[in-house]
Amino acid sequence: MTPPTVAPARPEVVTRGVPVTRPGWVERVTSADHKSVGQLYIGTALVFLILAATEFVLMRVQLFVPENSLISPEIFNRLLSAAGVTTVVLFAIPLALGFICYVVPLQIGARGVALPRLNLFAYWLYAIGGFAIYASFLYSVPESGAFSLPPLSETTFSPTHGVDAWITGVALACAGFTLFAVNFVVTLWTMRAPGMAWRRLPLFSWAGTATSFLLLIIAPAMLAAVVMLMIDRQFDGVFFEAGEGGAPLLYEHLAMLFAAGGYAIVLLLAAGAISEILPSFTGQPTFSHRGAAASIVAIAVLVPLAWMQSMYEAPLAEGWTLMAMGFALALVVPIGTLIFIWVATLWRGALRLRAPVLYAVGAISTMTFGLTGELAYSVIPVGWQLDNTTAAHADTLYVLVGGGVMGGFAALHYWFPKLCGRVLGEGVSKIALGVMLVGIHLYAVPMVLAGLEGQPVDLFKYYEDTGVDGYNLIASIGAFVLVAGILLELANAAHSWHNGLRAGHDPWAGSTLEWFALSPPPPHNFDAVPDVRSTEPLRDIREAVRRRTEVWETRRRAEPAAVPAPAAAPVAVAESDEPTASYRAPADEDDRDSPSVA
Amino acid sequence: MNTAYWVMFVVVGVFLVVINAALIAAVVRFRDRRDRRPARLAAGRGALRPVLGALSLIAIAIFVYGIVVTGDVREIEPSGPGGLNASQSAQVGVKGVPPATLLEGEESATGEEPITGAEPTESAPLLIDAIAQQWVWRFEYPASDGGQRPFSYGELVVPVDTTVVLNIDSTDVMHSWWVPALGGQVQAAPGEITQTWFKADEEGRYPGRSTVFSGSSYPAMRVWVDVVSVSEYESHIDQLSSDISDAQGAVAGEVADQ
Repeated sequence: MTPPTVAPARPEVVTRGVPVTRPGWVERVTSADHKSVGQLYIGTALVFLILAATEFVLMRVQLFVPENSLISPEIFNRLLSAAGVTTVVLFAIPLALGFICYVVPLQIGARGVALPRLNLFAYWLYAIGGFAIYASFLYSVPESGAFSLPPLSETTFSPTHGVDAWITGVALACAGFTLFAVNFVVTLWTMRAPGMAWRRLPLFSWAGTATSFLLLIIAPAMLAAVVMLMIDRQFDGVFFEAGEGGAPLLYEHLAMLFAAGGYAIVLLLAAGAISEILPSFTGQPTFSHRGAAASIVAIAVLVPLAWMQSMYEAPLAEGWTLMAMGFALALVVPIGTLIFIWVATLWRGALRLRAPVLYAVGAISTMTFGLTGELAYSVIPVGWQLDNTTAAHADTLYVLVGGGVMGGFAALHYWFPKLCGRVLGEGVSKIALGVMLVGIHLYAVPMVLAGLEGQPVDLFKYYEDTGVDGYNLIASIGAFVLVAGILLELANAAHSWHNGLRAGHDPWAGSTLEWFALSPPPPHNFDAVPDVRSTEPLRDIREAVRRRTEVWETRRRAEPAAVPAPAAAPVAVAESDEPTASYRAPADEDDRDSPSVA
Repeated sequence: MNTAYWVMFVVVGVFLVVINAALIAAVVRFRDRRDRRPARLAAGRGALRPVLGALSLIAIAIFVYGIVVTGDVREIEPSGPGGLNASQSAQVGVKGVPPATLLEGEESATGEEPITGAEPTESAPLLIDAIAQQWVWRFEYPASDGGQRPFSYGELVVPVDTTVVLNIDSTDVMHSWWVPALGGQVQAAPGEITQTWFKADEEGRYPGRSTVFSGSSYPAMRVWVDVVSVSEYESHIDQLSSDISDAQGAVAGEVADQ
């Protein structure tokens, strides 16, 4: 649906309740409204989260006891290959994109995105890519591991079409990510509300900006890698054939760059969402808006630059590995600063402990385990020993679960009222959070210890003489607990979508512009786009309304009969030397009719 | 190398405790109470400077420490006094990693021709080619008398207290060499020869395995390093050579019979 036209001159003409003539599902899949596309992204990503969790649990079932033969190696390797791509390409990155797609235009006071059809097209490329990978379960499944590293993924060693399906899926998704990034760079550059300077950009939008620019670099790189692999497999190319002058390491570099970028996007989603949630619930502004924004940008720059941090064992010149170590260790500064700013934001505030805050705090705590572990592996002799072991994998999972799952659920809790006008049920979600926290530690701590004993990741069985039985048993139980928590929270969200308590338009007293719109917002987002004068535009609006009401109330009390009601307000505001004179009051929320587009 | 573990373990522990304690303290102490009003603190200009400075110092300190320990593990130690006499084995006059050009030809390790212009030093390491394939390692030892190189599969036998330099290669897909007790992982990439070294101070049997996913029998891609005394090593190599020549003789005989 094209956004309804809005006349620029005041009084603004607003078209609300555009009659929908097409069936609901057609509307759902073809609407180029960024909110509809954002919901599609979030929903699809959560479906892939269920698939990834299922595959993860099945793999852990196989690893319950040593030398288990419950699942055959072929099936295990299929699960492994599917789980790797599902977690990063089909779940973590698209979840971040979904929230960016939904929230960022609202936060910057835009009435839509710059290229709405391109945005919808990008979503469908990703969705079809995911479908292509899972459709391969009907004929031949990829078995060449989480990254499909050549030469194993070349036709000599993987003759079936499973890898081709994998390549197609990843290529389509990466093409989609690139187009998404193009759209959002343009939107952020050109469609910010009047007064929304970069320095006033909300922190989640900063995370969105950083993610878009990052995707513009890493998604084409991965696209190039898989296209070269496709040429090798189907058209006798020699890009990665060592014997013919090709270099398998080239693919590894590109894939690791993409993986590092995906890791950064998980961090950015969590960092952006947490930076919005904490100020809203603690009643004070972010301790340092500039510092937080700079840290977010620095994370987006440094994490991908440290891609060789996971390649210390590869045949690289020593200088490159030292450079990777430098970039990986430099991350201490932005991540440490960001965490300091979060704690300082809580300090001397009045924190309301609602579910979004609990998820945010749980996400920070869980991520610190993974991030500090990653810090240890950055030092070359340590990383040289522990790369590719379950210890390194457990730390990656700490960040994926802390940032992608808990951070994602924090964001979902926070923006759920905006998405559907209802609150995500808090009682069940608190239990689910506790279960997840127990599960992740129960999984990851034994896996770190097993990694120190020398257990590598991706094994379909381990031998009894390696002394890691106990660790794997506990870790498998932990995996079940973790996935139970995730599924419980997903069921809770699905239930709340139609049955949750009705929320107002601004249930958390947020200070960014998405709460100025209705819940859920109409297709054009805002009836009137406000001027932005600070990093907390909605707080300014509230303040302006309060003053206006005070003046109005005082006057009415002073001379009850003389004041004609509607005309008084603008006059009063103009007198009170408040720059935000044209704001509509969100105080009369109950009077607004609910929008017809759900 | 264990020191690096412990140092990083302490750093990680301190970070974890400080961050989580601060977080929990902030959440517990500043919860919403009836009479509590948010202070609305905000950083002034330069308020973050001490934080940035402290974190940068930590990062730089770890970086410098990392460079130092990396140098330590990369530099090849000379063989000890109890080790294999260098002149009997491969002559690579190395201090550090030998130049890549020396590693290419097979004859480089046969000992027939001096490999470098430099004269063999007494610290010359034992040079062994480790070639990975799906799903077993092949080890090629230097020939003792310039003849055929003895080889073995799956198990590497080396003398104690001797510096062993491994030239690691792969004939099919990516693998990696990793014996945790004897050093870090080294990728075995087809078309690239990577080098690592180790020196075992004690006799014994050290298990290791590949850490790069390599297809359906990946868990079987294990390796064992048997560290034995010098005399045992020499007799083992002689045994290997004679076994191989016997087997080849037998095959040649069968071929001739047909």
